[in-house]
Amino acid sequence: MILYTPMQLELVLEGIEDMKHPVVREVELNGIPAVVEDKGFGQGKLVKLLSTDPNDYMDPNMIPGVSVNFLGTTK
Amino acid sequence: MSHEYMWEPGLFPFEPNHPNPDQDPNKPPEDPERTEKPNDPNRQRVSGKSKATMESVKEFGANNVPEVRSNIHCLSIVGQIEGHLVLPPQNKTTKYEHLIPQLVALEQAREVEGVVVILNTVGGDVEAGLAIAEMLSSMSKHTVSVVLGGGHSIGVPIATATNVSLIAPTASMTIHPIRLNGLVIGVPQTYEYLDKMQDRVVRFVTQHSKITEDKFRELMFRTGELARDIGTVLIGQEAVDTGLIDGVGGLSQAVNIIKGRIESHQSGGGQVQ
Repeated sequence: MILYTPMQLELVLEGIEDMKHPVVREVELNGIPAVVEDKGFGQGKLVKLLSTDPNDYMDPNMIPGVSVNFLGTTK
Repeated sequence: MSHEYMWEPGLFPFEPNHPNPDQDPNKPPEDPERTEKPNDPNRQRVSGKSKATMESVKEFGANNVPEVRSNIHCLSIVGQIEGHLVLPPQNKTTKYEHLIPQLVALEQAREVEGVVVILNTVGGDVEAGLAIAEMLSSMSKHTVSVVLGGGHSIGVPIATATNVSLIAPTASMTIHPIRLNGLVIGVPQTYEYLDKMQDRVVRFVTQHSKITEDKFRELMFRTGELARDIGTVLIGQEAVDTGLIDGVGGLSQAVNIIKGRIESHQSGGGQVQ
């Protein structure tokens, strides 16, 4: 892995050791398979889409980082 | 017709049956916001707004963008380009695994004719950046990149990957050598590996812009310009003078270039058929 950036690497990578490995789940959101970070109580943060339909990636509600409710959608 | 009003506090100065004494009762009141003429043939009825739109206006003060599909799409690449490593949360990142399917969607969408790539990036993962750059360069749509603010390091190949590249007069691009992070073993192979990785970037940039390899390497290894590193910062016109970027410009130039390319493509296609 090579980071090619003029920014100081100490700034970019600050806190990388303390980053916890998140609990992720594979779910289906509105029919789109996705990976979400489980925050408990069916709430989560979208990590990435697993869909192979490129149009799913154009949906503004399906951007990595948005809060999602995946209750009852777990595979 | 003259009126004298008693401006007493708490007293409304007009009678409710005849609210505006200056208004002729036989003429309908004029709406100051209404500028078009009633019999104007170009007049269009504005369709009613959906419930969701009204709610967003009421709750957030935000107006939804009307449902007009543009034939030019905009893709912004900001912050660090995140690739193989999830960066700590203080970084603003562009995730390449989300961007690449978007490029696929743009490539196959019939109604999309051009893509404007807005770049304000401090670089990031070499392979993720090169992946985006290769995807952009292999697109059949008309593409223009605009470097705003900064397009540093791995932002340079992305900027050059499009058909036409533009840079804002104040935007800067840092060109510097690649560094290895993590455990580095001091053997000749490390240098060889690093050199190979660097060649990927140099080759891409020289193939997709007018800059020569010697000039790009000279900029990359120039000493005395950067305090913490070797390399060069090019600002606006300087990037154009070196041949790295095609022109200085902004949004209107980018959109005009795409429109011009679409028109010439259409007229060119007509001649073939």
